[in-house]
Amino acid sequence: MESRVLKPILAVYVVAFILFLYGPFFVLTILSFQQGPDGGPQFPITEWSTYWYQQIFGLTPPSRIAPLPVGEALIRSLILAFMTMVTSTVLGVMSAQAFRRKFRGSSFVFYLIVLGMMVPGVLTGLGTSLLANNVFGITRHWYTTAFATHVAYTFPFAFLVMLAILNRFDGSVEEAAWSLGVTPWKTFRKVTFPLIFPGVLSAMLFAFTLSLDEFPRSLFAAGGTEDQTLPLAIYGTFAVEIHPNIFAFGVLTTLFSFALLSVYGILMGMSVRRARKLAMQEEIA
Amino acid sequence: MTTQTAIFRIDGVTKSYGGVKALDAVTLEAGVNEYLSLLGPSGSGKTTLLRVIAGFEVPDSGRVFFQGRDITNLPAHERGIGFVFQNFALFPHLTVRQNVAFGMAHGAVPVSAQDTAQRTQAVIDMVGLKGMEDRGVDQISGGQRQRVALARTLVMQPKLVLLDEPLGALDANLRGRMRNELRAIRERMGVTFLHVTGSETEALAMGDSVVVLDRGRIIQRGAPDDIYSHPASPDVAHFLNRFNLFDGTLAGGSFTGAFGTVGVTNATRAPRDVYAIRYDRLRVVPVSAAPTGPALKATYIANEYLGSSVMNFFETADGKVVEVEHHLSLGAPETYEPRQDYLLTWSPDQAIVFGREGK
Amino acid sequence: MSDASVAAKGQGASWLILPGIVWMALFMVVPIAMICYVSFWTQTTFNISSTPTLASWKQFFASDTYTGALWTTVRIWLIVLATTFIIGYPTALFVGLFVKSKTLSTVLLVICVIPFWTSFLIRVLAWRPMLGKEGAINIILMKLHIISQPIEVLLFTELSVIIGMSQIYCVFMVGPIAFMLGRIDRNIIEAARDLGAGFGRIFWKIIFPLSLPGVVVGAIFVSVMVLGEFATSGALSGRKVNLLGNIIVTQVGSLKWAMASVTGVILTVVMGLVIAAFLRIVDLKQEL
Repeated sequence: MESRVLKPILAVYVVAFILFLYGPFFVLTILSFQQGPDGGPQFPITEWSTYWYQQIFGLTPPSRIAPLPVGEALIRSLILAFMTMVTSTVLGVMSAQAFRRKFRGSSFVFYLIVLGMMVPGVLTGLGTSLLANNVFGITRHWYTTAFATHVAYTFPFAFLVMLAILNRFDGSVEEAAWSLGVTPWKTFRKVTFPLIFPGVLSAMLFAFTLSLDEFPRSLFAAGGTEDQTLPLAIYGTFAVEIHPNIFAFGVLTTLFSFALLSVYGILMGMSVRRARKLAMQEEIA
Repeated sequence: MTTQTAIFRIDGVTKSYGGVKALDAVTLEAGVNEYLSLLGPSGSGKTTLLRVIAGFEVPDSGRVFFQGRDITNLPAHERGIGFVFQNFALFPHLTVRQNVAFGMAHGAVPVSAQDTAQRTQAVIDMVGLKGMEDRGVDQISGGQRQRVALARTLVMQPKLVLLDEPLGALDANLRGRMRNELRAIRERMGVTFLHVTGSETEALAMGDSVVVLDRGRIIQRGAPDDIYSHPASPDVAHFLNRFNLFDGTLAGGSFTGAFGTVGVTNATRAPRDVYAIRYDRLRVVPVSAAPTGPALKATYIANEYLGSSVMNFFETADGKVVEVEHHLSLGAPETYEPRQDYLLTWSPDQAIVFGREGK
Repeated sequence: MSDASVAAKGQGASWLILPGIVWMALFMVVPIAMICYVSFWTQTTFNISSTPTLASWKQFFASDTYTGALWTTVRIWLIVLATTFIIGYPTALFVGLFVKSKTLSTVLLVICVIPFWTSFLIRVLAWRPMLGKEGAINIILMKLHIISQPIEVLLFTELSVIIGMSQIYCVFMVGPIAFMLGRIDRNIIEAARDLGAGFGRIFWKIIFPLSLPGVVVGAIFVSVMVLGEFATSGALSGRKVNLLGNIIVTQVGSLKWAMASVTGVILTVVMGLVIAAFLRIVDLKQEL
């Protein structure tokens, strides 16, 4: 009875909650269509235009506002995210696989790995740069020190995803393969891996998106300007005056994320649909 | 049976899980071309025994021999022992044909593509899956999955196949059919089957030889008839699910129980005194009758048709349920009045008596 | 001999787990140990040497700027923890318990996650045109004649930092809580209702206790992120709000590694205490 009153109230609340989540992004999208190059990053909109989008792609005549230094940073970030994704997923699958057997100290190792997603980026970033700078005397780069901290951050996510998948995995198919004379490694490749692939895909997605957007670790562990990743380039614009071009860039990166997730969704949907089709055929038969 | 004809032998194998002994110094061997049933209640260690032989578990102590070779420390994929799982464990992402060819396609021993195709087809035909080759394994019925599991194992031509309750996942109808097929297939292939089951009917019907396992120990081994008519202990009699067991005291050549004192000619040595009468050895007579043998008063409760026989349930004064089986081949069953008292009687020489005084 | 093969199997597992352990030790444990070590180094204007000293520690606790940052961090953390819980719990309650269709609850959760596809820094930045003197909130409130003068405390104050962080992190509360609520057996609630218990009673006696592990997991997520923050405070407070994270960034910027390390150690200790306290309430490994 109370739920008849409470449910509509909560429903209205959830709508307000969603507005709160999306509000800033709506405003940002509107302001990205501000007139340029003189329109500022605030209301009112002097005139609607796509000037700032054109500016990102270098399609506008040079003006007093420098274009965003994002081109190379974006490429660096994509390569870094890819490297991180591959390494984290491999480590995640291996570690989760090891956790299928009970071993001494497994609880300790579990917390050691999970701690990686809990320790703030400032700390791992600071510590790694201290090590590189003051102990080994090596130059920090996005593809060395920053890469190492990125993996230490995303590997726990990949590990947890794979752990959840392997917890539900029925090991008897692997034993069946062994009993047919197939080596454990070949069994992993031909049986286990195809069956856990949806989980691997999720782990990859996690690692890629987290690394792409990672900021505090890169701030400390990546080197100078020639090592800037995309979030660092965006952060660099904070210090000086901001312009609507950063808003336009935000809209574009969001669209890119959508595209990425759509690819993931399509891949997942394909495997789900295949399973459903098989189930339907079985019902008919 | 000599070691030469034994296909496998396990010697004093012990395996514990967290302090609980699943297998307690088990020694067992099976001959070439033999059908061995392993009967035991759940938790008796029968699956653990299979897994030790297959190499999925390493025993805490004891040795495992296969074809005269010590394989205790050999990994599962180098043993050449087939395994059929209760849940079939088919590769869900592969077709029927790919499942059957899996061991040849990916095994350590290379098999030519032509041989693989030929052998796969032959086995698929043998188990009666012709026409299903390209179906996914989730597009076929339970019985067909069972056949794929069997075909996948047999195509590797193992000398020993371990079957872990292979019929457990099938419905009763299919179970009966598959039982006959399993026997026939085994005879044609000439391999040794070690078939684990929790069903006494299955064990007695299928094995050339039956091994009874309880709490990690083998408590009897013999031909099905032998075990059926001469259970070695009250526990075996209990697992066979064919005997009414009465507690009592065996003393001075007679047994005293709920039915009074009955003379005993022959008793088997056992740690406790138990009087066992097979379900089909009991006769039901009215209370007014004066039977010659021992008699037990009991109230009729209900009956149950089992196809070839009828099971009648009675309850004694102290609340014990007594089962009386009537084989339909012996004539139409009598009908009894529910909640009415009857006398159950039997000929004392058909009883099996266990006791501390036994031999 | 069978022991040997058990050992061999054990080695198989350790071979798989070893790379992960080495990576985490090398790039997480050693760096944090390094921070502790360097916090005792001697700092000169242009250089740092490994001569042990307590100078940086003394300097930290003698300075109002540094200790102030510690208290600001703790204050902001507690406030944001409270706001994310208060904002998030009703949403989780609706998504996890009141929505009966599984599809709808999944759709709602996906809607909550979509904003995360925008870069974190841009999400922070997006609050500027929202909160500013000529920002969206002031414009709307003035159009509605609720206020006649724009509210100026919205931007470049502690309030703006709290608003920004609450929005960015509240989803981390919603997710775990909704997950735990979704696992509650509806029959228990029905049974309690049949026994005549009102919603308030059912909530406090059944629903809330069962959702507690979700609250704790959410609180851990929010805590570790807020405690390590510096970007939101930097971008939305106009450098008025200094958290421990901001101190670290500025100290590293001026090559004051020792002071950055002292701050890092203090942040580590605060973080450790917070995580340990939450883990006492709920065993994370069990809930997964």
